[in-house]
Amino acid sequence: MSAPTFAMAVRLRIRSTVLAALGMASVILMVGALFPAVGDSIGRLDLPKGVSELLGGADYGTIRGWMRSEIGAVYGPLVIAAIAITAAAGSTAGEEESGILGLVLAQPIGRSRLVLEKAGAVAVAVLIIAVGTLLGLIVGVAVAGGGIGLGDQAALAVHLAFFGFATGAVALALAGITGRRAVAAGGAGAFAVVGFLINGFAPLVHGVSWLKYASPFYYYAGHDPLGSGIHLGDLAVLAAATAALTAIAAVSFRRRDLRG
Amino acid sequence: MSYAVAIRTRGLTKDYGEGHGLFDLDLEVQRGEIFGFLGPNGAGKSTTMRLLLDLIVPTRGSATLMELDSRAQSLEIRRRVGFLPGDLELYPRLTGEAMLDYLGELRGGIDPRVRDSLAERFDADLRRPVRELSTGNRQKLGLIQAFMHEPELLILDEPIAGLDPLVQQSFHALLQELAEQGRTVFLSSHTLSEVERVAHRVAILREGRLAVVDSLDNLRDIAVRRLDIEFGRSTPAADELRALPGVREVIVNGRHVVVAFEGSADPLVKAIANHEVRSIRSRDDDLEEIFLRYYRDPDQT
Repeated sequence: MSAPTFAMAVRLRIRSTVLAALGMASVILMVGALFPAVGDSIGRLDLPKGVSELLGGADYGTIRGWMRSEIGAVYGPLVIAAIAITAAAGSTAGEEESGILGLVLAQPIGRSRLVLEKAGAVAVAVLIIAVGTLLGLIVGVAVAGGGIGLGDQAALAVHLAFFGFATGAVALALAGITGRRAVAAGGAGAFAVVGFLINGFAPLVHGVSWLKYASPFYYYAGHDPLGSGIHLGDLAVLAAATAALTAIAAVSFRRRDLRG
Repeated sequence: MSYAVAIRTRGLTKDYGEGHGLFDLDLEVQRGEIFGFLGPNGAGKSTTMRLLLDLIVPTRGSATLMELDSRAQSLEIRRRVGFLPGDLELYPRLTGEAMLDYLGELRGGIDPRVRDSLAERFDADLRRPVRELSTGNRQKLGLIQAFMHEPELLILDEPIAGLDPLVQQSFHALLQELAEQGRTVFLSSHTLSEVERVAHRVAILREGRLAVVDSLDNLRDIAVRRLDIEFGRSTPAADELRALPGVREVIVNGRHVVVAFEGSADPLVKAIANHEVRSIRSRDDDLEEIFLRYYRDPDQT
């Protein structure tokens, strides 16, 4: 079965996505190259617990802690969420506002089908970034003198990919409901930032620590994939959220007027 | 193509509030007809077309295209319809060919020979990226995609916009060929002059409501047309022109004379023929004037 809308959406973003993935890999490589120089001198920072929590433990004395803080905690999820959200919001609400979907949907393609094919293309973009992350980790860790097994490196990339799917799906759902690119991208971005803060601070506040379960960051990094490998339960939660949000996108888009 | 009515709307309404939208549209377009859908900008022409293609949902009322329900059977309708949106947007980085390939794939593939002959006919350059094309050249791509799967029914929103006169001519010729094959064309415009060479019947929409449906011949008789005439040394007397049958108004400004008339242009042309006529230009028809005349004198029809 052919999927021309999926193929077109991939084609329109493949170049910028591959460049971003190469950028990601280069940054990780540089971070790895810095480790021998700074690892010994910084060691474990004595930061307030909330802040060190946000930075993935702030243990700069080991390559695992260094990569967890430098790449895993902020940079990795930031890049993958940005790619997922711009791809999701741009290829749906963005094309709706510009008027291209008015032409595409005059062809015999159902709206749900269109959303699913666009979602597939977002997944491809996320996977490309995840592969770039893994390549960067493999080379970066080797340059730093080793210390993280390939399995744990891959676990971080896999968790990162599922995190990207979920944040992209938030943008997709908002685009499906509103048809507004700014709402889709802004809303999903805000969701990611709030999730980041909640995951860092909620556990410290008595009575609201359960809030962390509402954050995609918990399922992404809560069980430390770089330290303890893949956690299938977390991936299942992110996958289920992605599926539910994509379904919301498809159903809500089918029921409303096309904008633009 | 066993149906007789290509488009039928019943009380079709899209209420955007504050009087905007489309209200209680009852329209029938016969199979094989070229039907002009006229109205000033904002009258509801694009809204109607978007309703027919299920891009927007009616507030109430219904529409059938080729006897298929516009909502429940939209996919089947879109398989058999070619649509040109009024605000055509294409992927700017793609070449015309890549854009058309994509749209063709959405239809499960099209005959490339049909596409290529259309491109030749409209003198379209398919190799350049869309962002480098002028409005008129983009519009050609829009027309090609609407025609390339040889649809039974064409819904064209302001198809002439931006096309140069030569392309307009081949476009008109194409519409006539299609109508002769029993295909139906529903096209919109904001001026009568754009459709008068091709349309069999015309509907005029005004503030979201259908004001007039009539054959083009009747409408032409009723329409007040204006000619800008520039004379040489001698200019005919204004009173002489005013006395001609059908002439409604004469404005003289030196050697330039504007004559508003209805019906045949023949008496006017014969009368000015004794003078040196340097140029004659026709001005756009005023739709407002046409339906005012309908209301003033409903027996005209």
